[in-house]
Amino acid sequence: MADTPEAIKKSVRTYMFVGAILFVGTIVTVLVATVPWLDFGRHGFDAADCILGLTIATFKASLVAFIFMHLNHERKAVYWLFGSGLCMVCSLAGLTALALGDPIIDKFFYSGH
Amino acid sequence: MSSHSTAPAGHDAHHDEHHHDPGFIQKWIFSTDHKMIGLQYGITALLFLAFGFYLMMVMRWSIAYPHQPLPEWMGWVFTDGWKARWLQDGKVTGETYNMFGAMHGTIMVFLGIVPLGFGAFGNYVTPLQIGAPDMAFPRLNMASYWIYLLGGLIMCASFFFESGAAKSGWTNYSPLAGFADGQVVNQWLAGQTQWLIGLVFLITSSLLGSVNFITTIINLRVRGMTWMRMPFFVWAMLVTGFLLLLAFPPLEAAGIMQLMDRVTHSSFFMPSGLFTKSEGLADLSGGGSPLLFQHLFWFLGHPEVYVLLLPAFACVSEIIPANSRKPLWGYKSMVYSVLLLGFLSFVVWAHHMYMTGMGAAVSTFFQTTTVLISVPSVVIITAMLISLWGGSIRFTTPMMWACAFIPMFGIGGLTGLPLAFNLADLHLHDTYYVIGHFHYVVAPGILFGFFAGIHHWYPKITGRYMGKTLNHLHFWPSLICMNLIFFPMLVQGMAGFHRRWYNGGDAYLSKAADSVNIFGNTVVQHIDMNIIMSMGAWTMALFQIPFIINLFTAWKFGKKAEGDNPWHATTLEWATPTPPGHGNFLKEPVTYRGPYEYSRPNCDADFLPQWTEPKHLDSSEKPTGSH
Amino acid sequence: MEIPYVVTPRKDTGLFNSKIAIWLFLASEVMLFGGFLSAYVFLRLGADYPWPERTLPVLPGLINTFVLIGSSITVVFAWASLKLRDWRKFQLFMGITVGCAMIFMVLKGIEYNAKLHHQALKLKDYSVVEGHLGVESEDGKPVLNHKGSTIEENLIFVEASKLTFDTVRFYKPWVEELLAQAEHHHSKVALAADVTAITKVGQSAEIIAKAGEPLSVELLNRLQAVHLAARSHNAANRTEALRAEWVTAKAANPGKKDWQIASGVNIDTAALAPTLLGEISTVPFSVDPPAKLDFHPRDIKAAEGQSRLRDDTVIDGKLLASPMVFHNIDAIDFQHLVMKAKEKGIDPEVAIENSWLMKNSAFVREAWAWHQGEVKKLSAELLKAHGVGKDGKPRYTPTHKELYRIGWKDLAKKAEDDGRTKLSGVDAAKEEFFGPNYKARGDETFPGLSVPREQVGFASKFTPAWNTYYAIYFAITGLHGLHVIGGALVLAYYLFFGKKMYLSDPEWLANRVEIGGLFWHFVDLVWIFVFPILYLM
Repeated sequence: MADTPEAIKKSVRTYMFVGAILFVGTIVTVLVATVPWLDFGRHGFDAADCILGLTIATFKASLVAFIFMHLNHERKAVYWLFGSGLCMVCSLAGLTALALGDPIIDKFFYSGH
Repeated sequence: MSSHSTAPAGHDAHHDEHHHDPGFIQKWIFSTDHKMIGLQYGITALLFLAFGFYLMMVMRWSIAYPHQPLPEWMGWVFTDGWKARWLQDGKVTGETYNMFGAMHGTIMVFLGIVPLGFGAFGNYVTPLQIGAPDMAFPRLNMASYWIYLLGGLIMCASFFFESGAAKSGWTNYSPLAGFADGQVVNQWLAGQTQWLIGLVFLITSSLLGSVNFITTIINLRVRGMTWMRMPFFVWAMLVTGFLLLLAFPPLEAAGIMQLMDRVTHSSFFMPSGLFTKSEGLADLSGGGSPLLFQHLFWFLGHPEVYVLLLPAFACVSEIIPANSRKPLWGYKSMVYSVLLLGFLSFVVWAHHMYMTGMGAAVSTFFQTTTVLISVPSVVIITAMLISLWGGSIRFTTPMMWACAFIPMFGIGGLTGLPLAFNLADLHLHDTYYVIGHFHYVVAPGILFGFFAGIHHWYPKITGRYMGKTLNHLHFWPSLICMNLIFFPMLVQGMAGFHRRWYNGGDAYLSKAADSVNIFGNTVVQHIDMNIIMSMGAWTMALFQIPFIINLFTAWKFGKKAEGDNPWHATTLEWATPTPPGHGNFLKEPVTYRGPYEYSRPNCDADFLPQWTEPKHLDSSEKPTGSH
Repeated sequence: MEIPYVVTPRKDTGLFNSKIAIWLFLASEVMLFGGFLSAYVFLRLGADYPWPERTLPVLPGLINTFVLIGSSITVVFAWASLKLRDWRKFQLFMGITVGCAMIFMVLKGIEYNAKLHHQALKLKDYSVVEGHLGVESEDGKPVLNHKGSTIEENLIFVEASKLTFDTVRFYKPWVEELLAQAEHHHSKVALAADVTAITKVGQSAEIIAKAGEPLSVELLNRLQAVHLAARSHNAANRTEALRAEWVTAKAANPGKKDWQIASGVNIDTAALAPTLLGEISTVPFSVDPPAKLDFHPRDIKAAEGQSRLRDDTVIDGKLLASPMVFHNIDAIDFQHLVMKAKEKGIDPEVAIENSWLMKNSAFVREAWAWHQGEVKKLSAELLKAHGVGKDGKPRYTPTHKELYRIGWKDLAKKAEDDGRTKLSGVDAAKEEFFGPNYKARGDETFPGLSVPREQVGFASKFTPAWNTYYAIYFAITGLHGLHVIGGALVLAYYLFFGKKMYLSDPEWLANRVEIGGLFWHFVDLVWIFVFPILYLM
């Protein structure tokens, strides 16, 4: 991590730059969601818009995590600690979504015959 | 200021300013010392366990004698007014049974076993075993105890409300739990709401606790205490910490959502078109999903089972090597097993939900992971068994409990396998078989492990042993009664007895002939087992009295322990003075070797503690690690 | 022994204690918000009603995003200033950060407030109207209730002649409320008849309260005490009696099991009767003259002749007309109706034509006709821009929402087409933030509507109760807001009380600010996901 005064002074410029990207990213997110001719995929909200929006959000979130939260300089142990949460949240979200949209579902059971 | 003043008080000037004598309140009530907090946890948890046990005794009366009034020897606890509200001519009503059932489960799991295992044993032993002066955040540690106590009291206070305590099972499934007590105008005074508020407190408490434990274990290990020199106990606590840390928040989310369902009339878990007899069509928007609650609940619920279990594993795996005078067999494979167990426990939850109409792909996935998770558990149990083989076993009081733990937990574990399979579960789901299975795991399994732990560390805490005779009077009847209670459940369950019959199947007797199941069983054949089980339960209550007497009298009158390491054990907690004072160690210990060096060849004694300085420093005994 | 690694990192892990702790805490926070986001996905994919997509005004959310990102930058600067040992700059940047947090919460409060005062109504036929409720008025002036506040026109009115309270369950604030209402209408609420009960075994019934005694909480409390005492006494006696019966029955039937003889074991009620006390489970009061009482719809199960409150108070009296009156409607939504119609195989257009709104409101008919014209225009535009697909049909068609929802912007546009008020500049921007401006645009743009009670299916403000979207919106943003408050409190603590620590151990303070900052960034990080998910999707 930037610990010497010189290194910190240097990284301040990085922070400004990243902050600017975050502002721009936010505006882009809003534009693609509201301006008709920037609408991706079919007309109106659809999977393409969803993926695009979440991709921009993930990009912005990674910038915050790696630059502002210093993950880029951080010890491996932190990756393990925080990663455990990310890993389990994927298990939670993924498996509950899978349970809802199960590819092998008993049509007979659900159609109510 | 007290007999505990043998504490290793400050030996340097810098220390002294922090070590003025704490007052009574600071020492006994708002203590930040991990040992005192551990004891507070332990005593509170034992009280809650006794209360949960009592609720069960009343339920067992309702099951065995549904037509008779509750006898005076159980009913004296209640006031006449309370009995008039909750009993029908003295008989236990279905509503009351549901209330006691829900609270029995909740109290035993969240207020009894978890605080006893993780809170009490974890707090007392973990910092000692890694050579730390205290937990990393002592004040946070104190906060988690008090938040836990507050949450528990909030939950139990609801017994005195007009609405009574929560009645929707310890799993608190919506939409039932979203509706129950809906007639109460001020929802904050409804038992069902109080349950959720209490739960949020408990979750906060264990969150603070787990952060503290993991930080302590990662950063406060003493010099030479490398990862693979940590006692298995510490490993188990580390994994338990992670389970609590990551599994509880989704339940907190679910709890908040259910709270909103109740208080703001939202419909997170309420489906469209909900109709009840009393209310008619619900005045709700609907559109929510009851299954969502089950997913979020069991995402906690299953890791929670291992939160209960791992501390018991932890205790037993310390006691067996110390009393068989042999190293713990397969230490490394046990460590890897417990890590794998922790990971897998996050991806098995929906085996509680086979009957909800999930699709085949998801069911198959969860069936596979569930069967897989039995592998690491069996590795651990097998390692414990092999550790006994060829040892010079001393049947000390803790060892008796530890030895009983293995087969009892074994029955509990093995009876779980049929439930892991989709198809077998179709038959067994929601029967007494399930109750028998998990009670074998928790009661004679985990609780026996904890009794073992209490006997094992008692000499360290008080400087005295617990009495042998009283222990025999406690151990043997408990062992017999446990099996009398829970084995018939497995039989009844396979015959199709439903787990929520408040009158033990009595209502089905008149239709017995029509209800022959595929094995040709009817209710009539197995209903008398109810009486055996109930008698077993009440007898067991009687034989807990020797334990209580033992626990308190031994403090003053027990046989004095010989020195600071009476069991001749090898781990660091035995290097402290007895009882350990504030700051734990007289001088900072150094770890030279693994945790279970018993009966080492070329050694004078049959044990070589972790802290004993080696005569010839060979490469394997370097105190590696940072300091 | 002191606890090590409070300030300096441990060599082999490279971390000081609180840094491990905060990352662990953040991991659990990921799980907490992950639980809510999983719930969002689950609810949205499983919704059986048209999910309100892109329904919130974007502007407040956007501004809040900027505010949070800005504060995230300043908190990093504050930390860097501490590292450079520049206390003044630290104060400046930390001050800005805490200020941003306050701005965020104020904006959030404004946003919440708008929702909590905006009414939605789903009619029995699943058509939806949104808008603002009117208040009861006479001669153009609002009528005030006994508390001196206006009365929203969404109440159930009963001409009550008798109130029967449950002596155990009666809810004190409601009793007081009923009393005040009756007084307001110059009616007297008094005991309808003498309340008598046996209070001592073997004696005859005595009068507990005389007919005509006025209703009060104290009176009900007194009756409750008599009732509860009698209930306890009687239950104990009955229990004893049943116990005795069982002893006799057991002796008479040796070897028999309980369930074989249970049907013959009963309490001898006649023998027991003289030992029992009088229970008073309900107590009736007359309202003289009958008064028009009002109730919130959720509190009452209304029925002709006899209604029941949630605390089991029974109200005898005529049910009066209790329409739900909108002063302004600002949206007409047939999406749910169309969805239901399609499920039943009914043509959506027919279903809309047959809806109560179309049959009873000229304005709705007019708006719908105008809207269909707009939809045609949009379809044509889409056809022109994207052409037809391989099957010869237009590649892109208007969305379900565009087809069947007439939102406030549509209504405003319709009014502008008709030559009514047009807003621009600051006024238009204010509308983007606060929602439609009824005053400026007038009642012709957003007219009133009265819906009879029997047509009301489900009504709610835009609170968590309205649907699962608003429920999860309030849950996630509310929890996030709590995190903002918590984080701001911690940062403000460093700002205002950090000086002493700065002077004694600046590195420790820098560590603490770093930890607080990590939490603050996490709060920002969550919002980065929450904003598009709740506002833009």
